[in-house]
Amino acid sequence: MAAAMIEEISQFLQKGRAKNVKQLVEQALEEGIDPKEILNDGLLSGMMVIGGKFKRNEVFVPEVLVAARAMNAGVSVLEPHLVEAGNEPLGKAVVGTVKGDLHDIGKNLVIMMMKGAGFEIYDLGTDVDAATFVDKAEEVGADVIGMSALLTTTMPNMKEVIDVLKERGLREKYIVMVGGAPVNEQFAEEIGADYYTADATSAAEVAKAAVERRRVG
Amino acid sequence: MNSRERFFATVERRPVDRPAAWLGMPDIKAQPALFAHYGVKDMHELKLAVGDDFYAVEVPYQSPTSTAIYAAFDWYMDNNVDAEERTLTADGCFKDAEDEEDLAFFHWPDPVRYIDVEECRRRVALAPADKVRLAMCWSAHFQDTCASFGMETALMNMLANPEIYQAVDEKIVDFYLKANEIFYEATKGQLDAVLIGNDMGSQRGLMLSPQCVRDFIIPGSRKLIEQAHSYGLKVIYHSCGSIVDVIPDLIEAGVDVIHPIQALAAGMEPANLKEKFAGKVSFCGGVDTQDLLVNGTPEMVRAKVRELRTLFPTGLILSPSHEAIMQDVPPANIHALFEEAQTVY
Repeated sequence: MAAAMIEEISQFLQKGRAKNVKQLVEQALEEGIDPKEILNDGLLSGMMVIGGKFKRNEVFVPEVLVAARAMNAGVSVLEPHLVEAGNEPLGKAVVGTVKGDLHDIGKNLVIMMMKGAGFEIYDLGTDVDAATFVDKAEEVGADVIGMSALLTTTMPNMKEVIDVLKERGLREKYIVMVGGAPVNEQFAEEIGADYYTADATSAAEVAKAAVERRRVG
Repeated sequence: MNSRERFFATVERRPVDRPAAWLGMPDIKAQPALFAHYGVKDMHELKLAVGDDFYAVEVPYQSPTSTAIYAAFDWYMDNNVDAEERTLTADGCFKDAEDEEDLAFFHWPDPVRYIDVEECRRRVALAPADKVRLAMCWSAHFQDTCASFGMETALMNMLANPEIYQAVDEKIVDFYLKANEIFYEATKGQLDAVLIGNDMGSQRGLMLSPQCVRDFIIPGSRKLIEQAHSYGLKVIYHSCGSIVDVIPDLIEAGVDVIHPIQALAAGMEPANLKEKFAGKVSFCGGVDTQDLLVNGTPEMVRAKVRELRTLFPTGLILSPSHEAIMQDVPPANIHALFEEAQTVY
């Protein structure tokens, strides 16, 4: 019964049906289903299905957006119960578009997918200077710093963030990820980032694996 | 062949002496270095010095809130349409609109009031008679509709409330049809082509499903294309990113030239486009601005131009893969692109 209801939550989420998701999450809680199970097996697993389809170009940005909206509707119902149950996020990430660049569609998709993977996200917005990335990461105790750039003229500003981390002796503390249309593996290596990913779903997958590896030690 | 003859031959995929080439619209921050390199003082002189086959003309637009046709709508209701100060996903004034009546508060600009017919004529008259006179109309109705709601809301509306999305899009398309008519009428017989378009691609694929493109973008674009054709203009259709999956739809809608070939976007490799669409449509672009023109040497640029010319003996207007050349592109690379493109083998 619980499994069927959780599967239904996942299915509604994948269709972007926020009202149905909210209603079913409420119902599941009333029926005593573990909020962590609702989160992991219903909401997050549904979002990961959408993420996989997005990566394979089977669904596109509008479908991801409505799914993320449905996930958020479910999470908002679930949140107080998760806090009560002492649920910890998979990890924390600060994510933003680098200085001089206002493009945020890709960055927002990464955030949706990382939330779907179980991360607590701090969205720094666009046109973010290097110190702000580092200050915020320190403030919230982030595991991951994620940077986006669309322009060839702003890509070099990614390196500035890494330089600030080095100057403050913090480079090894964070998993540094980069992405955006002109960014590639070679560039990531040149500036000393840990990971480049070509799409939002891969960013979430790689971040998750990297954080889990660090935890294991 | 002069530039116009070369352009029409390229677009119609007839033999050419050498390919037509377009400089694009260099970003304002890129212009000083280009001016210095060519020893010129303004864009008019630059186009001539480069040997551009095109002479692009922007539609003059001056309203209380905007000085550019591509920023004609005050979606943020703050008299500030400057794209430099706002992200693409910023909420627009229709964020909460659910029904057509929720759009009523908006002041839709009337292009008749804001396009100076004499200025249209003056700008086009500056174009040398042998150059391709290209109207930069943009008419980016998809991008405007996205901005009017805020991009994420607009894209979600496509699925959840398509009627409200379409109601806004139709009003925007009507605005552009009217604006373009003013420009085309004022300059009748003096234009060769128009550039319109909408950014619908990302580096790795379409942002929308091909079906969404067919349902929400093609209908408005088709009207704009048909209007341009009725004035005898060739239509160059712009979209950044990978749009390979909807090129057949653009061809069916009447597009003459796909712009740009964003060479590093998925599926947009020139060889792939030739294989899929040879004989069906022409292209513009192909000289990569995401890596080659920024980081490559003039010799590498020349080699790429030679490769493209071999692949497309006609049917390709050589141009940077993004029309707005940025300030990180060395002018020597632009020089190399044009010299190699202009060489008659």
